[in-house]
Amino acid sequence: MIEISRLTKRYGGTTAVDDVSFTVRPGRVTGLLGPNGAGKSSTLRVLLGLDAAGSGTALIDGRPYRELDRPLRTVGALLDGAGPVPERRGVDHLAWLARSNRIPRGRVREVLGLVGLGGAARRRVRTYSLGMRQRLGIAAALLGDPEYLILDEPWNGLDPVGIRWVRELIRGHAASGRTVLLSSHLMAETSAIADDVVVINQGRVVAQGPIDEVTAGHESLEAAFFALIGSGR
Amino acid sequence: MTATRTTRARTMRTMRALPAAVHAELIKIVTVPGVWICAAVIVALDVLVLTQQYPRNVEMLASLAADGTVEVAPGERRPSTDAFLFLLVSALQIAPLLPVLGALIAGQEFRTGQIGLSVLAVPRRGLLAAAKALAAGLFLFLVAALLSAVDTVFVQLVVADWEPGLPFTGEAFLWRARFLLFAVSFGLAGFAITVITRSTLAGVIGTVALTMVTMTQLLARVAPAVDALLPYSAARNLMVSADDLTASPGHAVLVLAGWALLAPAVAGVVLARRDAR
Repeated sequence: MIEISRLTKRYGGTTAVDDVSFTVRPGRVTGLLGPNGAGKSSTLRVLLGLDAAGSGTALIDGRPYRELDRPLRTVGALLDGAGPVPERRGVDHLAWLARSNRIPRGRVREVLGLVGLGGAARRRVRTYSLGMRQRLGIAAALLGDPEYLILDEPWNGLDPVGIRWVRELIRGHAASGRTVLLSSHLMAETSAIADDVVVINQGRVVAQGPIDEVTAGHESLEAAFFALIGSGR
Repeated sequence: MTATRTTRARTMRTMRALPAAVHAELIKIVTVPGVWICAAVIVALDVLVLTQQYPRNVEMLASLAADGTVEVAPGERRPSTDAFLFLLVSALQIAPLLPVLGALIAGQEFRTGQIGLSVLAVPRRGLLAAAKALAAGLFLFLVAALLSAVDTVFVQLVVADWEPGLPFTGEAFLWRARFLLFAVSFGLAGFAITVITRSTLAGVIGTVALTMVTMTQLLARVAPAVDALLPYSAARNLMVSADDLTASPGHAVLVLAGWALLAPAVAGVVLARRDAR
């Protein structure tokens, strides 16, 4: 279970995350929604130990991320703005990640095949399309066959085939009793696969719960979202 | 008691994780072509400089006098053994480029946000910082050892018919050890400045500035005690025979060891305390 409790994060004088609390349960897909700058990525960065919390806690399996042993075996994450070095080959990018967590080398080829990059494994990342880079990021998240998947904008740059593949991947992960937390701008995709949603606006949680409850009284998740954040745009 | 046990358990976990983290950092280093290109350029420049100096070194041996001295410069004679042992560290001329290599190694983390992935993989910042410094130090050591081997080949070519065992005496290995200490320390200085500033360019400029301060001799005249704390000055104090040195060789060894340990330690503290961006 992922438990975020009264989390606050400031960057200089800007409060990016303000007293945020929510829980992500196993066997379910939780969508983290919010406009640009709402605090979604900051919340994920604190949860994953990249940024220090100002106050509050963010726990995975009851522990802060940085206390996990071989964390890639527990949590697979795809984060916007944390990408591979373009000059490195795809297979080498996954090789160092695997080695750091003592994941067998064979798993690298396995996940490259899984995300459809088997044929491009030895190409430099700079030659990859945006969609291929996204697939490489997802391969990195899957490397440790983790219990938790935390994905920031997982559909970025993917074509319709890729979008469907990610949708099935996420649903399959949750169906096997594991936990998925994803952040996205894509309401249609999120509403198609999320069991629960957390809506953040200006650093604060404005709604959370099962998707049916959050969208009750609205014709769609998108309509509910705009009503919640107070914008009809 | 419980706190002590927890600390000990954490330390044990960190020690167990260190080899894999270092190996991962080495994979990062050797899979970026720019690192190899930089290393190759440094070695090639060493070969080029030594090739240019080869005829002069042959002439130097030809100037060997009955008193055992050779002419190292017009009108300046030195004991032949000292003169040729010094040639074993000819790469000192190229060594100011080693911090560029250190900066390139460290800088890859900050160009595309890879530091975020590194922290995801190794979230204990102290462990990550130690692994990074050890891997960078090891790679720099290997490049410096290659430079030293190149220097040895060129010295051997000159002295083969005179004293072929000269490059393999205990004193010769002591000279190499001095050079390796300096090369790794200075390379790690570039590495550390880059981690602290999160910029390869700043790492390069910072170490060029350190080199220039030594080469201009300004600080040596104004504040010799401060000058002696700079890495390139320490290398000069350790390996060059001159009257205007700013500290003893022993002091220089301590300074270089200090740079090798403290610069990555400061970088590690900075890495541990700030957000991974």
